[in-house]
Amino acid sequence: MRVLGTVIYHLSRLLLAGIFIYAGVVKANDPIAFAGQIANYQLLPYAWNYLVAATLPYLELFCGVLLLLNKRVRPAVLVLFVLNLSFMLVLTSAIVRGLDIDCGCFSPSSEQTFSPVWALWRDAGFMLLLISTWMLRSRQHPPERADGD
Amino acid sequence: MSKPRLSPAMRRILLEALILCALSLTVGLSLNFQLVMKAFTGKTVVPVKGNPVTAGNRAATVVEQEFPIPVELDELDELLAAGALLVDARNLDAYRSGHLAGAVSLPLGKVAARLADFMRKVPKTRLLIVYCSGFGCPDSFDLGVRLLAAGYRQVRVFEGGFPQWRDAGRPLEEGLK
Repeated sequence: MRVLGTVIYHLSRLLLAGIFIYAGVVKANDPIAFAGQIANYQLLPYAWNYLVAATLPYLELFCGVLLLLNKRVRPAVLVLFVLNLSFMLVLTSAIVRGLDIDCGCFSPSSEQTFSPVWALWRDAGFMLLLISTWMLRSRQHPPERADGD
Repeated sequence: MSKPRLSPAMRRILLEALILCALSLTVGLSLNFQLVMKAFTGKTVVPVKGNPVTAGNRAATVVEQEFPIPVELDELDELLAAGALLVDARNLDAYRSGHLAGAVSLPLGKVAARLADFMRKVPKTRLLIVYCSGFGCPDSFDLGVRLLAAGYRQVRVFEGGFPQWRDAGRPLEEGLK
């Protein structure tokens, strides 16, 4: 049972690492297009879209790298959990307001688009992965231990 | 009644999460400093209000633009009177069924095929105002970025687009130009 838990932990950790490193790299490569997609949600003042577009990709990237390296896993999972929760709230507000827009979740300049409803379900899946990674990490490395990040 | 306190381990995790956020903010701002500063200072190539661009003062009022700046409905009249060109980024069917009076069509989906012809007809110094189907539509912004990359120096995006113009009772035209 413990072996199964370890396998699931590493699989979910690596899956999350791949997802967020990819998301971070493609957004960091095109901050202007990403800012345009954030602007479509009509939630932030104009210039703040650029501040978010300039910094958020690096947060995803650094968290993804920590997950990949299996270092500081819980701080990275905590940040991604809050980030993902924010994405879900923003997507919900877009759905409630009837905005028909690409979610801007991954490549900002891609021809392929994802509806907010589809993105919301996908984010819910990420939340489950994040929660299971946190719980399995806590079981294997209790936070009270010196190396128990 | 005692307040619930976080364990030292949980406090450490929170602190490390905050450090991660601060690090990302620092790196992101360092790598995109100019872009963010231009967005916050509103540096554009469009005329400063009350100081229209003329041949004489162009150099003083025009700076390089990297991304299209939004324009509000109530600013349009002044810009159109100064010679701005409306550019419709929607598909040809939408344009044919109704567009802003005076607008030319350059659908985002056909930009690769039609940009050369557009550039032959429209000088790069002309102020362009790009629009599409309103606030939920990203095509006008994307087309604005493409036009800037093609060498146009003054590109703005009318985010309210066709619906806001129509709802304000502004003149519309039908058919192809």
